[in-house]
Amino acid sequence: MDKSQAQDPLREADNGATAHTLRIGVYVCHCGGNISDVVDVERVVQAASGLSNGVVTRHYPAMCSETGQNLIIDDISNEKLDRVVVAACSPSLHEHTFRAAVARAGKNAYLYEHVNIREQVSWCGKSDPDGATNKAIRLVGAGVAKARLLRPLAPISMDAKRHVTVVGGGVSGLRAARDLARIGLAVTLIERSASLGGHMAQWHLVYPTEDKARDLLRELVDEVIGDPNITVHTRAEVIEASGYVGNFLLRVEPEHITVETGAIVLATGFDLYQPQEGEFGYGQYPEVITLDQLERMLDPEGPTSGRLERNGRAVNNVCLIHCVGSRQIEGIHQPGPDGKLNEYCSRVCCTATLRAAGEIRRRFPRTNVFELYRDIRTYGRGHEEYYDEASRLGVLFCRYEADRPPVVSPAEPKKGPGLICAKHPPGRSGKLNLVPFSAEEPDDSALVVQVKDTLTFGEELEIPADLVVLVTGMVPREIDTLVDQLKLSRSADGFLQEVHPKLRPVELAVNGLFVAGTCQAPMDISESCAAGSAAAAKAAALLASGRIELDPFLAPVDLDVCRGEGKCVEACQYQKAVTLVEVERDGRKVRHAEVNSALCNGCGMCTAVCPTGAIQVEGWRLDQFDAMVDALVADYAETEVSHA
Amino acid sequence: MHHDKIDTDALVIGGGIAGLQAALDLADQGFRVLIVEKQPSIGGKMIGLSKVFPTLDCCSCICTPRMAEAEHHPNIAIMTYTEVRHVRREGDRFIADLVKKPRYVDEDKCTGCRLCEYACNTELPHEFEGDLGVRKAIYVPFSNAVPQVALLDLENCILCGRCEKVCPVGAIDFLQQPQETVVRAGTVVVATGYETIRTDFKKEYGQGRLPNVLGALQVERLLAPHGPYGRVLRPSDGKVPDSIAYVQCAGSRDRSAGVSYCSRVCCMYAIKQAMLLCGTLPLADITIYYMDIRAFGKGFEQFYQNAKAMGIEFVKAKVASITEDQQQNPIVRIEVIEEDGRVEQRQHDMAVLSLGLVPGWDPREVGLAAPAPDGFIRCTQPMIAPCRTPDEGVFVAGCAAGPKDIPDSIIEAGAAAMEAAAYLHEHTHVAGKETTTTCMK
Amino acid sequence: MLPADRAQVPKILILATEACAYPGADNVGQIHAEYPANTYVVRVPAPVMFSEPFYLHCFEKGIAGIIVMSCGHECPYPGAYDTLATRISRVHELMGERGIQTNRLRLCAVCTVCSKAFLKEVHQMHELLTSTV
Ligand SMILES: Cc1cc2nc3c(=O)[nH]c(=O)nc-3n(C[C@H](O)[C@H](O)[C@H](O)COP(=O)(O)OP(=O)(O)OC[C@H]3O[C@@H](n4cnc5c(N)ncnc54)[C@H](O)[C@@H]3O)c2cc1C
Ligand SMILES: Cc1cc2nc3c(=O)[nH]c(=O)nc-3n(C[C@H](O)[C@H](O)[C@H](O)COP(=O)(O)OP(=O)(O)OC[C@H]3O[C@@H](n4cnc5c(N)ncnc54)[C@H](O)[C@@H]3O)c2cc1C
Ligand code: SF4
Repeated sequence: MDKSQAQDPLREADNGATAHTLRIGVYVCHCGGNISDVVDVERVVQAASGLSNGVVTRHYPAMCSETGQNLIIDDISNEKLDRVVVAACSPSLHEHTFRAAVARAGKNAYLYEHVNIREQVSWCGKSDPDGATNKAIRLVGAGVAKARLLRPLAPISMDAKRHVTVVGGGVSGLRAARDLARIGLAVTLIERSASLGGHMAQWHLVYPTEDKARDLLRELVDEVIGDPNITVHTRAEVIEASGYVGNFLLRVEPEHITVETGAIVLATGFDLYQPQEGEFGYGQYPEVITLDQLERMLDPEGPTSGRLERNGRAVNNVCLIHCVGSRQIEGIHQPGPDGKLNEYCSRVCCTATLRAAGEIRRRFPRTNVFELYRDIRTYGRGHEEYYDEASRLGVLFCRYEADRPPVVSPAEPKKGPGLICAKHPPGRSGKLNLVPFSAEEPDDSALVVQVKDTLTFGEELEIPADLVVLVTGMVPREIDTLVDQLKLSRSADGFLQEVHPKLRPVELAVNGLFVAGTCQAPMDISESCAAGSAAAAKAAALLASGRIELDPFLAPVDLDVCRGEGKCVEACQYQKAVTLVEVERDGRKVRHAEVNSALCNGCGMCTAVCPTGAIQVEGWRLDQFDAMVDALVADYAETEVSHA
Repeated sequence: MHHDKIDTDALVIGGGIAGLQAALDLADQGFRVLIVEKQPSIGGKMIGLSKVFPTLDCCSCICTPRMAEAEHHPNIAIMTYTEVRHVRREGDRFIADLVKKPRYVDEDKCTGCRLCEYACNTELPHEFEGDLGVRKAIYVPFSNAVPQVALLDLENCILCGRCEKVCPVGAIDFLQQPQETVVRAGTVVVATGYETIRTDFKKEYGQGRLPNVLGALQVERLLAPHGPYGRVLRPSDGKVPDSIAYVQCAGSRDRSAGVSYCSRVCCMYAIKQAMLLCGTLPLADITIYYMDIRAFGKGFEQFYQNAKAMGIEFVKAKVASITEDQQQNPIVRIEVIEEDGRVEQRQHDMAVLSLGLVPGWDPREVGLAAPAPDGFIRCTQPMIAPCRTPDEGVFVAGCAAGPKDIPDSIIEAGAAAMEAAAYLHEHTHVAGKETTTTCMK
Repeated sequence: MLPADRAQVPKILILATEACAYPGADNVGQIHAEYPANTYVVRVPAPVMFSEPFYLHCFEKGIAGIIVMSCGHECPYPGAYDTLATRISRVHELMGERGIQTNRLRLCAVCTVCSKAFLKEVHQMHELLTSTV
């Protein structure tokens, strides 16, 4: 104890005063009766005077008022106070008020201790004023005891690079890069493939605006390329990362460049679900394709120049099967090659499918379109309209249960004139009627899809199809190098995991890392752009001033006491927030722990396991808590009302 | 009348979670922000919710810190109980006329001690509790309201003067007048949120007159840890309900109700409430009548499957009407969509309408551009710049631009803040140029 | 001056997390619910910072009961809650070895509006201590 006091930075701050000779001012607030109607504030002041060397102890009707605050400020200069304790309402209301007052008087704001005697004493102890008064005395005693051991703290501030790296040049990454550049930050955009735009570059028309995806993209890409604040690297990848918030260092291959950057936005996107061999006939029958292939087929610049054809022939019957590779249920679906089920919904495919279905009915009115779905999830603005429109255009809907998925098999040619389904009246609420195929138009669909349609009494329907489209959704993309280098966490579904799913949706657990777009979860273009902008806003706030201010409540190491055992290193949950370093000290090599304040979050996991007490969370040191407990159990309060 | 003038970088209209987040994201970049909230507390709808899907976090616990952060942020000023009268452009600045409604309580003096509330003898239905609980004529809006300042409902006050007598700080001021303020701002963020459609939107659903047919926000209060009854009871007779029905798409996807869109959060909040009810009333039967379950977000599908596994019954059916029997038990008449398409009547102890989300505010009222046909704020570039509106320099966030859940509202708030920040940069109001909110009296 | 037995009332130390339980304790006051005065709420960022001996010393010093009110799984610090739970079990073992009734140390989760949970915990501990001490 003595030894650490000898080196205590506190000594200098307090002109050599020891914890026992410190000049402490104690103020007890009446809160206009809220406190003083229950708690005998005069008795509290008397007791406090005995505890605090009796320099200044006052009670006042409203400490938070200007006059109240000025009392403190004047006392600090006139009475040369070293510490201030205010017993008033909850610290959530006025701790910062009084800290600010202490700072205005020229003292370090952290030489202040707040005691809550309203919410936790007078308001919950009305019928026992004596008990409440005694409780207040003990709490003030504890506050004074802690105040004696308070140390001046300075907010930690460090330089940060006013530069952001965006990884991934899909629409979300483009959006983030452009927004950051617009407010004057330097941006490096790193794209793995040869071109910018990601998946969106493949789509022709997109919901909900029916815009041409490539036009929208071109606008954004032109802005990005034309922006002097943005450096674009295509065919590039981050292969190594080090550093921490404000100062990351990235190594990018194959150009062998290093990027010094203050923050990183991850926008690496999704992969398309690849059906397993034989899943709904995929890979077995050439007529079975996936939704993205259908999108390509509908694109005038696509492989079929926009014609809907298979094996060189126009398509008469298209059957779209929803939720392939999404919403998988244990016990029903087969896990993929990685042994995992995709339990999530891919969110975009329902509306994308309805959009495509409507387009087919409009452009190829003779083509029948069947949608086999589990739930139609047209949740977004302008989405439900696609559902209505598809029904209106005569798309036929069947609903299947997850445990009775449709079965795709080759049609038996001998059937000749087959059955076609038509809903009467048309629309999704109509009943399905089975209408024999007319002899003039014999059905020669190659495939037949059997489905138990729960919308029509669980009828087993056979739907002829010369094109079966598997509505495949999104899967997390392989970004193992990034995950490993940047210490990213993934959620159970394999997408990147934000730090708080409700309140901090674009921040990752590692400070300075942000996430945007479909690498986090399935989302559509609009949502990906919103996420890109939101991630940019967070990075902008972080780097706005070029300096990063951290709370001072971190865990520094007392080098005189640390023996370098490394228990803290094992306990720390924050990667590398505390490490062991070897230094020369008095001619000897010694090992001790070192905390990186940029990584430490001040939880104190290390404090509990440190055998020597060398590592402590500032503002919440264990000796302060010990002193508080001593004060709470001390013998004075009830018996000695005044200082003898 | 007293006129205040405030100069700020950004004016945020609406202090729900979206408005708060947009304000914080701007303030953290060094811009000065003024939040204007028409209610007596910030927090919006979120502060009244019980727990949140799909994490089941306590809603108050995640909302209050945000409210406190905004309240204490050096770059944020908040005006509650204040309405925006008019917004117009003057050069590259916006001029907004605000009116602070009288609280009849001096905000600077009131400590939130509630002595007035205890002294008051006039009891009224409590809006924050969905009218299920009672409040006094003078009251602190709710337990974690920000600011913690009482409010006198003069319309229902009998002017007995008790509050004035007990107030220890002399904060009661019966003569308080509306106060006008003119704000000059570089950009505007609209975050005016939503309302749930009124329970009387459909005559077949009892027109809001059946006591045991509740709106979903009321059930949020019933389920909240500090709700009106402290537990789940049905309003008519205080009976603990054994059988509870959820009527999905009540005022959504229903042209006859004037709402053709999907309200996006009702499936998930109904499942959430059903799960919470299973927790508090383990013996109760819960049935959800639905058209499609739209569990599309991160972790939603898993949440839905868990609910099924817990024994919550999902019935694909349309609810044609709701009536009640003599014991005031709701009778739900359904058309089963699956199986044989039969029509059936089922009796429950309580029915909950999963009410759709509708816009609560028309931007034309203050001179901003007309909303989209769905009534929410129109977005001019919904694909690649989703927060832009027809008024240049005015951005939108959260449910003001259509129904969405909390994380999507927060993301959009971040995006609106980013757009607003870029707009300010491009119009030379760079952060830090003027660092304090000047208040010229 | 108070009757002598007043001083004998067993003291309960509540370690309340800054993020959840401390505002929860404030909430109890805001609704003006009462509970015995022998309770002392101490604010901590994360109770995981206390080692086993801290608790034992508290008992030695004369604290009769300790309630650790955490944020439970809503804890803002990754891994802290589980470590805390393990530590408390370990302290229970050590208490057993020293003949200290293990139910004098409780770990629970209290959220910002969990006034009922707070009151229940305090009353339970108070009852336990007044009936046995
Ligand atoms: C079939 C289908 C149809 C759709 N139709 C619509 C529609 O009509 N309307 C709509 O709004 N949305 C639609 N979507 C959704 C839309 O495609 C996505 O929302 C959007 O593409 C997501 O953009 P992103 O930037 O998040 O990801 P991506 O588009 O996947 O872009 C990610 C980028 O990151 C790059 N990258 C990946 N890893 C790395 C790495 N390690 N280093 C560097 N770069 C990397 C990739 O090469 C890619 O360029 C559809 C989706 C599908 C599957
Ligand atoms: C029953 C129910 C349960 C829900 N449960 C969940 C859930 O579990 N999880 C989840 O993620 N989401 C849930 N939601 C959705 C959630 O409520 C919204 O996502 C969220 O509240 C949107 O926030 P907001 O700020 O956009 O709007 P709001 O919360 O509506 O806030 C808007 C604010 O603006 C103010 N305002 C309006 N007009 C003006 C004006 N002219 N001037 C000044 N101020 C104005 C309002 O008073 C309000 O404070 C639920 C919704 C309902 C109906
Ligand atoms: S959005 Fe995709 S995964 Fe979700 S329900 Fe629709 S088809 Fe299935």
